[in-house]
Amino acid sequence: MSPIIKRGGDKFTLPSKYLLFILTILCIGLIAITFNTSVFNSSVNSFAGTVVVPFQKGITTVGVWMKGTADNLASIRALQKENDELRTQVEELTIENTNLEQDKYELTKLRELYELDAQYSDYKKIGARIIAKDAGNWYHSFVIDKGSDEGVEVDMNVIAGGGLVGRITDVGPDWAKVQTIIADNSSVSATVLSASENLIATGDLELYNEGQIAFSKLVDEADKVNVGDKVVTSNISDKYLPGILIGYISTIEEDSNNLTKSGKITPVVQFEYMNEVLVIMKLKNTGE
Amino acid sequence: MRRIIFTLLSIIICFILQTTVFRALDFSGIVPNLMIILTSSYSFMRGDKSGIFIGMFCGLLCDIFFGTYLGFYALIYIYIGFIVGKFNKIFFPENILLPLALIVSSDLLFGFICYVLLFMFRNKFDIGYYIVNVIFPEAVYTALVAVFIYPVLIKINTYLEGVEQRSAKKFV
Repeated sequence: MSPIIKRGGDKFTLPSKYLLFILTILCIGLIAITFNTSVFNSSVNSFAGTVVVPFQKGITTVGVWMKGTADNLASIRALQKENDELRTQVEELTIENTNLEQDKYELTKLRELYELDAQYSDYKKIGARIIAKDAGNWYHSFVIDKGSDEGVEVDMNVIAGGGLVGRITDVGPDWAKVQTIIADNSSVSATVLSASENLIATGDLELYNEGQIAFSKLVDEADKVNVGDKVVTSNISDKYLPGILIGYISTIEEDSNNLTKSGKITPVVQFEYMNEVLVIMKLKNTGE
Repeated sequence: MRRIIFTLLSIIICFILQTTVFRALDFSGIVPNLMIILTSSYSFMRGDKSGIFIGMFCGLLCDIFFGTYLGFYALIYIYIGFIVGKFNKIFFPENILLPLALIVSSDLLFGFICYVLLFMFRNKFDIGYYIVNVIFPEAVYTALVAVFIYPVLIKINTYLEGVEQRSAKKFV
């Protein structure tokens, strides 16, 4: 007979295998609970917010400042040269701008006609700084320094540099977790602008080093979709607002079923060099 | 008590370093796994029971920030802490090769479990790619960082043991 609780002196000690067993059950229980509900979210997230996030913010601020100072010194000379180039460019652009304003006037008229005024440039956005990135090497998520105190909610869209970065999957008081579209566990319903055909853009770890994401389920019987076409988020997505630029198609292949096509998309956002992102403060209205 | 505070502090510092500083020092997007270094070395130094608790704390931190389900990484780290803790019988502070081997093999094990549970179950069967591009580089980088971190942890441990022995003598 092996005693479950050994008496060592006057205090109880539990053999490690029973401890292991108890904690295993506990963890499986936790997984099951978080799989089905979100009871722990608020308490656990505020714990993390008070203990860990302030330090992450501090270190990131210092790191960004140091990198900024080093960059400043290195780039003064380059900037002077760039300044001259930019002056000439400004003159060209002024002319171009005049033309574009005329076009814009026309566009506004046409948009009013089509009632497509809800472009994402009109949405209210707040800027946020990335303070920590995924601890592992499997998925690509990161933590930003704005949370529910600023009104950030789960499923809000995150953009940077004019393109889609991902969406918020978890919120604490002063931090939020963003799942990127290049993460292996994310999929986005998207539309090819030129052909108005829908496809599914999926992050893929195997394509990550090439800086690309995969797409599939593109129905294109008339072969209207070409390499280089713009891909934006679709109207039928229930998490992403419509019309946010994702990237450009880089390869297309016919699937073996001869009905759909798949291939790769080059995202417009440079995920390696992101420091700041914008959170769109509007949730997609799914009519529920 | 002093021991618990030191351990918790080192875990939190390492987690913050891993998510901020080492993210800036990554090689082709791969970061070393400091949590594995901590779990393995502490449980190697102190036995399986400490390993279980330290593993659980490390895993829960990862879960809160980057996990989809609370308890998933905690479970993996608990088992790694338990298994490595079994080697505590052959622990000598001077030896560094054995703990390094343990850290690398537990990181490989961790990578393999992650692949099976997170990727293979989603019909991603190209295991060769994941081993060459994620699991193996991570293990090598982790070993490199462990060469610097492990001696520090050993120093902390011997210091703590010295303090505890002295305070124990006072009572006698």
